[in-house]
Amino acid sequence: MAIQETLNTGLNIQPEAEADAVLQRRKYIGMNVLRTEDPAFLTGRGKYTDDVHLTGMLHAAFLRSAQPHARIVSIDKTRALALDGVIDVITGEDLEDTVGPFSTTVHRPEVETVTRAILNSKVALYVGQPLAIVVAESRYLAEDGVDALDVEYEVLEPVMDAEKALEEGSPLLYPEMGTNNFAHIEFQRGDVDECFERADHVFKKRFHAGRFMAAPLEARGVIADWDASGELTVWSSSQVPNLVRTYTAGPLGIAESKMRVISEGVGGGFGMKAHIFDEEVLIPAASQRVGAPVKWIEDRYENLAASLHSKEVIVYLEMAVQDDGTFLAFKGHYIGVGGAWPAHPWTSLIDPLPAASLLPSFYDIEAVGWSIDAPMTNRCPLGAYRGVGWTPGHSARETMIDDIARELGIDPLEIRLKNMIPDGEEFVTVTGMKYDGGSYSASMLKVKEMIDYDGLRQKQAELRKEGRYIGIGWSPWVEPCAWGSEVAKANGFAAEFFDAASVTIEPDGSVTVTTGCHNHGQAHYTTLAQVTADTLGVPFESIRVIENDSATAVYGTGTYASRTAVVAGGAIMRAGSEVRDKIIRLAAHAMEVSPEDIDLAEGKASVKGVPDKVMTMQEIGMLAYYGGPNRIPDTEPTLTATRSYDPPETYSNGTIVAIVEVDIETGKVHLQHIAACEDCGTMLNPMVIDGQMHGAIAQGIGGGMYEDLAYDASGQFLASSLMDYLYPSTTEVPNIEIAHIETPSTVTEGGIKGMGESGTIASPVACLNAIADAISPFGDIKIMKSPIGPNDVREMLRAAAAGSNGSAPATQPADVETRLSQQAEGA
Amino acid sequence: MKPAPFKYAKAETVAEATALLDQHADDVKVLAGGQSLIPLMNMRLARPEVLIDITGIDELSGIEVNGALTIGATTRHVEVLRSNEVRAFAPIIAAAMRHVGHVGVRTRGTFGGSVAHADPASEIPAIVIALDGELTVAGPSSERTVAAADYFVSTFTTDMEENEILTAVRFPYPLDRARWSFHEVARRHGDFALVGVAAVAEVDDAGVCTRARIALSGVSDVPVRATAAEELVVGSTIGEVAAEAGRLAERQIDPGSDFHASAEYRKEVARALVTRALNDMATKGEAR
Repeated sequence: MAIQETLNTGLNIQPEAEADAVLQRRKYIGMNVLRTEDPAFLTGRGKYTDDVHLTGMLHAAFLRSAQPHARIVSIDKTRALALDGVIDVITGEDLEDTVGPFSTTVHRPEVETVTRAILNSKVALYVGQPLAIVVAESRYLAEDGVDALDVEYEVLEPVMDAEKALEEGSPLLYPEMGTNNFAHIEFQRGDVDECFERADHVFKKRFHAGRFMAAPLEARGVIADWDASGELTVWSSSQVPNLVRTYTAGPLGIAESKMRVISEGVGGGFGMKAHIFDEEVLIPAASQRVGAPVKWIEDRYENLAASLHSKEVIVYLEMAVQDDGTFLAFKGHYIGVGGAWPAHPWTSLIDPLPAASLLPSFYDIEAVGWSIDAPMTNRCPLGAYRGVGWTPGHSARETMIDDIARELGIDPLEIRLKNMIPDGEEFVTVTGMKYDGGSYSASMLKVKEMIDYDGLRQKQAELRKEGRYIGIGWSPWVEPCAWGSEVAKANGFAAEFFDAASVTIEPDGSVTVTTGCHNHGQAHYTTLAQVTADTLGVPFESIRVIENDSATAVYGTGTYASRTAVVAGGAIMRAGSEVRDKIIRLAAHAMEVSPEDIDLAEGKASVKGVPDKVMTMQEIGMLAYYGGPNRIPDTEPTLTATRSYDPPETYSNGTIVAIVEVDIETGKVHLQHIAACEDCGTMLNPMVIDGQMHGAIAQGIGGGMYEDLAYDASGQFLASSLMDYLYPSTTEVPNIEIAHIETPSTVTEGGIKGMGESGTIASPVACLNAIADAISPFGDIKIMKSPIGPNDVREMLRAAAAGSNGSAPATQPADVETRLSQQAEGA
Repeated sequence: MKPAPFKYAKAETVAEATALLDQHADDVKVLAGGQSLIPLMNMRLARPEVLIDITGIDELSGIEVNGALTIGATTRHVEVLRSNEVRAFAPIIAAAMRHVGHVGVRTRGTFGGSVAHADPASEIPAIVIALDGELTVAGPSSERTVAAADYFVSTFTTDMEENEILTAVRFPYPLDRARWSFHEVARRHGDFALVGVAAVAEVDDAGVCTRARIALSGVSDVPVRATAAEELVVGSTIGEVAAEAGRLAERQIDPGSDFHASAEYRKEVARALVTRALNDMATKGEAR
């Protein structure tokens, strides 16, 4: 086969018939096959980064900035180097000749590239920034060494207010850039002005989506072994081991062929670990310098303060709406509250750009206009986390739709159904996104039935008479998924995205599958084996899936953005179909019938209508590898194929509803129930889908009601331990009821759409809308920020009682144009 | 997140522990359940040079009822929670215990440790105040008893000297005929309270309150009694004065603001919880 021609081009289109044929043979796809991953985890035998122990291994700890913005006058190493067991203290100057910089950008003309030294020991730009590395014989000694470093700071004025950071005269993080704003992007489709002139109502809102993060149970960790022969092995708790190799080999000055990255067990990635982190360069550099393997395990303070924060966007929205609730047009200005630098490689645009790109969601509007600014502030860098900027964008839009529904006296379900695009059909949105069919209205109606919506509204009215306040929060979503080149471009990130899979029948007939995606909780070793089993017609148990190691699996870009079921699933269907063809040809030749007469199922090739003419997969394997003249003449040995897949635009959808009761006197919110209906097209394993929904919804509850990576005005970080960073535990997460609708994609292999993030996109605003719905009898209630805790609920109630609305600010937002022109004047 | 170097000693008797404390008085900490101290040490916010582990001292652990209820200092929270004696003597303790951390914390954390740590937002100190607890404190040469009102000095600070340890908490009054109520608002279940109230009251046959204790957590640098509210309640029918007592409690306190709740919030909630607790006691006699 012409593997070379098709490998990794991202452009090879397989005839639809291949995937359709897989689905016609469906035996495992769609079944709740138990996760083959679980025994290791349940018996304590999962292998995480910290479980790796190498002979002669040293340990690193980082000196991290205590100041949000400061010039580092000096770092005195003397006392640290004098400690017994401290091997080396490394500052930026020590790496100047050996380690190159990171240059981070999104390739589009509106975006400036930020180039920076990976260890900057001269200027501190946020609390937690690495300033020096201490390498010692144990982690304890390394931290003693950090303690013994004497640092002199010259404190600079911190830049904390993202909107003021855009103004002329603001202190600058990078004076040489002349601005804190590394991107200004504008977009318009349709006649926005005309719609706003024609509209019966123009509504405006400012929504400040809070900063929260993945906070995985296993924080990050890097081990590097740069050996005497010049080969580098890196263990990193990453969900993109191949990208770690591709992006760090350059700064480290090593060929990718000499570098291996292993990310075997990863205890939670959630998009946070889909970045390239400074430590993934610095620990290898330290290993090279000290001539020994070096381990660094991120601790909880480092994870909270200095890994990656997400989701913080200030959103100004305007909606042109008719009396009957018809939406005409939306306008938005999205200010991504970035940190000290754009996170590598996606930048902090990963929040505001998807937020803005998806402004219309599935509402059938005539025109849309948006703009984005991306100021850098003295905070931890901002980057991707499950649902990326769709979470803040969705929270802003959907809280506003509830505000409008209340204002116009229309039920929040009705106003959404009224404006929704049709179910089931391909639809090009006003922005140009190509939706591949969905159950937008049907999913809302399904949840309506699940919660007995009409009955619940009656109950709500009755309880209010008793002084009890329950609320119902609607949150229907559409999620761009699979992150192929097209969907990335539709969300503003034009670059090539694909993934690859190899499918091999071994000589004994067992099956090895490798992909470039990464398994860290999503059960790929189960679900992708299901796809393989149905593609090849072999037993599930005969298949082993390998990912998570650049040396043993095919190259690909990793797992993020709800992509693996679509991208790796599609690549396996393609590669597997090639292998299947060869199996059939080999068997047909050996049994002297034509290929059309071969049935391939359960790992056996049999001749139709001749039950005793059968070849096992082992016989076929031996024939393929060692059959010599018995093989089809002129076919090469082996039985393997590698293919890639770059899917077209695909979008999953669904609806989440939260039901809360609010204790008016204390502001305490009891989240009683979550009901959801999701539609990710062809389901591979519904049990795994339920698990993805449960986890993502729990994380969204955190973003809606608990988790807040707050800084004070002086730039000090306030959520530096799990006493203050409050993720929901089992006592805060209610029963979650999940229903499924299957609307297969009209465009992807097998009709699979991506899923996994929607819970975190949609559940925060389900909670917020439920809270507002519960307390709406008390006055003009508008949610203007997230998260909303009991203190915020009481503030809203006090403000409502005093006649003004909402949580903040008291003033009505200026319209988007005025804000932009003010900025333009300022700039 | 590794502690700075320290020396460790495990004491076998109270005398040994207090002698060691006396010897290293400058920079020593007592280790019991370690649920607060060890995280602080790991973050290098606490850097004792010497750690004296008292969990091996048998006489410090155990629950005894002999007219009064005595809980040994190193008795684990989970033992207190599950104790039938405690539940019979003072069910409010078991009710409060359900809000102390989560299972892991309650399994290792100790009753006396929580008292001696003196976090003003934690549950046990408020209970000690509400129940007029007596703290038994041992030093190198003598033992003394400190009244609850005198024990808590300020945040993380008690009346104890560097060379003393808390050996037991004694509750002199059984609550078998008293009414009680415990309420707490925390961000999540098991977190320290934004505001908590522990209230007990005795009521005569005519329904008039003869004795009341209302303790608040989270509103000051120590757990405090809402004395003005108590004075109003005594001599009254509880349900009739619940709302006014709440207002008095709100007026009496001057809480601080932090990242989780404003002072105004804490005042409002203190008022609501005091009223709620009194209404509970007026109607049901007890509450969760």
